[in-house]
Amino acid sequence: MNIERIAQYIKQHVTADDYTLSVSNWDSHETRFAQNSITQHIAGPKLDITLHVSYGSKSGSCTVNQDDDTTLAFLLKTAEDIAKIAPEDPEFMPSATAVALPEVDNCDAETRSLSPKQMVEIVQKAIDKAKAMDATVSGMTEKHYGESYLLTKNGFVGNNRRTEFGHSMTLKKGTVETKVDYNAKRFAPFNLDKDFARLAAQATALEGMQSFEPEKIAVILRPGALQELMWFMGWMMNRRQSDEGFTPFTDQLGKPFFGDKFSWYSTLLRPELSSTPYSFEGYASVEIPWVENGVLKTMPTNRYWAQKVGSTPSSTYNMYIPGGTATEEEMMQLVPRGLIINRFWYIRTVDAKKGELTGMTRDGVLYFEDGKVKNAINNLRFNEIPHAATRRILALGANELASSHALLPTMLIDGFNFVDKTTF
Amino acid sequence: MKYLDLAMNAASSLGAEYADIRIQKTTDQVIYLQNLSLKHTNTEVVHGYGIRVFKDGAWGFAHSNVFSDEALLATVQKAVDIAALSASVNKHKKLRLAPERSYIATYKTPVEIDSIEVPLQEKVELMMEVNRTMMAYEGIKQAVFYLVIHKDEKLFASTLGTRLDINTQFIDPMIIATANYEGDSQSRTFDEGGKAVGWEWILSLDLIEKAKQIAEEALIKVKADVLGPESRRSLILDPNHLGLTMHESVGHPTELDRVLGWEADYAGISFATPEKLKNYRYGSEIVNFMGDNTLCEGLATHGFDDDGVPGQKWHIIKDGILNEYGSTRDTAMEIGLDYSRGCNRATYYFDQPINRIPNLYLMPGTKPLTPGELIADTEDGVYIQGRGSFSIDQHRVNFQFGGDFFWEIKNGKLFRPLKKVIYKSCNPEFWNSCDAIADERFWRPFGVVNCGKGQPSQSARMTHGSAPARFRNIRVGGSQ
Repeated sequence: MNIERIAQYIKQHVTADDYTLSVSNWDSHETRFAQNSITQHIAGPKLDITLHVSYGSKSGSCTVNQDDDTTLAFLLKTAEDIAKIAPEDPEFMPSATAVALPEVDNCDAETRSLSPKQMVEIVQKAIDKAKAMDATVSGMTEKHYGESYLLTKNGFVGNNRRTEFGHSMTLKKGTVETKVDYNAKRFAPFNLDKDFARLAAQATALEGMQSFEPEKIAVILRPGALQELMWFMGWMMNRRQSDEGFTPFTDQLGKPFFGDKFSWYSTLLRPELSSTPYSFEGYASVEIPWVENGVLKTMPTNRYWAQKVGSTPSSTYNMYIPGGTATEEEMMQLVPRGLIINRFWYIRTVDAKKGELTGMTRDGVLYFEDGKVKNAINNLRFNEIPHAATRRILALGANELASSHALLPTMLIDGFNFVDKTTF
Repeated sequence: MKYLDLAMNAASSLGAEYADIRIQKTTDQVIYLQNLSLKHTNTEVVHGYGIRVFKDGAWGFAHSNVFSDEALLATVQKAVDIAALSASVNKHKKLRLAPERSYIATYKTPVEIDSIEVPLQEKVELMMEVNRTMMAYEGIKQAVFYLVIHKDEKLFASTLGTRLDINTQFIDPMIIATANYEGDSQSRTFDEGGKAVGWEWILSLDLIEKAKQIAEEALIKVKADVLGPESRRSLILDPNHLGLTMHESVGHPTELDRVLGWEADYAGISFATPEKLKNYRYGSEIVNFMGDNTLCEGLATHGFDDDGVPGQKWHIIKDGILNEYGSTRDTAMEIGLDYSRGCNRATYYFDQPINRIPNLYLMPGTKPLTPGELIADTEDGVYIQGRGSFSIDQHRVNFQFGGDFFWEIKNGKLFRPLKKVIYKSCNPEFWNSCDAIADERFWRPFGVVNCGKGQPSQSARMTHGSAPARFRNIRVGGSQ
């Protein structure tokens, strides 16, 4: 793939008034294992070239995955043909103009150069460890290297290179299932021995499960669980949808709508987090306080709506929720009883206007009382409103990388609403 | 095509016990119209090939978008090398493939009018008219028309000698009206979930009338009452609601890869384990589920799966008893089956195929019964149409579903419209509570085109179907 050649071809042959060219090129290696053997093993590149063109306010776009001249000619003709017959768009925006972009460091040479053999050795080691404790392990080891580019007729030029390494492990021993997951832009911090020791410790703690009825109860959400919940809440935080009355955040900008212990940023300043120098709409990434000390400061806004309401366009490019210093042991002292939640699963919206979600716990729930873990319990279903739950935050723990795009704390929340249970 | 033979010969000479190549060109046309503004009009073409090699009890899969002899041979070599690395781990637990014979065949989705070929202008004009119809109603704040047209052209060859030429397509129109009233916001959706048919289906739908109906129902819904606290009631579920319920609570638990734990790390496992086959009461005696990859207009009807196994029809649940799974060549052998049910499907050329839900449907009742008679025979219940919130645990036991439109039933009549209804149930309680199913005159299909599964994640499609059915003594109530 040669971005200069693709860009030159479009520049030479385009007849439309305006265009945006977006190119991404990924090379991936994915080793999937289950029940102590490899079940899938995938390698190869993926190319994606999207051209968006417009005549006046009439627009069209096309996407292809090859970069020879015949395909580029098809790309251009298809996008232009669509635009020519499209109706005038009352919300049309011209392409982005040149802008200074921040420097980001998302690419790591060691991660990029990981060999298939190294990755399989990681899998083998995980399986050996599981076998040694008479258990099975399932998961995926993956490595990605990607380049992306965004160019416009009006002079915007941006590019981003990114690496990512991931290794997940779900351990099953008897009826116990639990998971540990590493996902980051760099391979170097990954430590299989440490992760597996944590996995084994989680499994041991989950032995001897006892039945527990659903109720409103305090929860310690580990970063993996908090991440699932917060992404779903984040998807509802849309400026236009809110201004038009479709979300719980309508008329809440600038108000203390969340609990005062809760802040949420997208940030370029945390080197462990992946980020992007620009958005897909062609504006520079900046520090964004979405929520600061409980006050809703801004919401993701596209360029059209930002112009209409006199705001700045913005999008969520990563998630940083500042934590505190409380350990899980200290959190357990703050409430008479509660649950430690490892992860959530299958979260869905129940009521979009209220912001109510449902979902299940997964991979281990522990019951604590009088400051100590008593026993593991069955999984539970919750129906809860996350922004309202932030008003019941009692304590925050240290930040951990929950994934390459999320740096989150452990969070103690009072009165979390569980409504149903499983038998396992 | 020369690449098929070149790849298979190369794989065989490199020691593959089995190999296949899938050359696939996928064309997607997506049009998204919101409040008369075209937000997205895109045609996407994804073209390449994936080569799968099975060696020493393990898979290797490599893909490429470059069509040249050199690139193809390099991709074969990569697949062989990866398979060898997989085999080094699997030496104590080798995968095996169920026997299969070779086929030389073609399959094409029967269509009268190829949807891709219909001029864009005709599509957009229809969509604008539908949008305008909804926006003409005072109180409708958002009108959306989302149209997806998808086409796959596949050439498949395997070292068994199979050569397949498969062309499939589907179309999925969805229209949504959203109304705001006194601080609440509610949507109503027309969504049949997609069908493997051509543009002739769109012309038969009378979408202008559908737009009027959903706009009016959105306005009714936003002003409707909320059901009180949860209590045990009867549910009558319309086919376009029940499609997703069966997808989650029967389709996924009977995928054999989940049963075997192959999805343990991500999508989850299944409570429907092999010792339950032929003896586990999954549902009441009137509950019969068919897996059917021969279903006319079915989204999983492809002639053959990506193992080169022909489409089949079989009982997954028979007279309420768990009968069989949906399987693939590599999962079938794990429970001692010497045949696959042909459920191995990939989404794009770069995806390794995985065990998927087939077209799966609930057989209609065998005695004459209309939906009206079903309602008339129900004292206290809720009738649910359309799909809403859905969530199920990773063993596929406990679930909670919402819907899109609700009527309270009192003394055999539709009493009042409702909003924000959810019901909670679990397996096997739910399907054992099914006491009546309307007859075949009222059986309707419902498509799913975005079934997410696998790592890396793939989005598959399949068709479900049922007649309206009643479920007794289910926990039903309003949301918080």
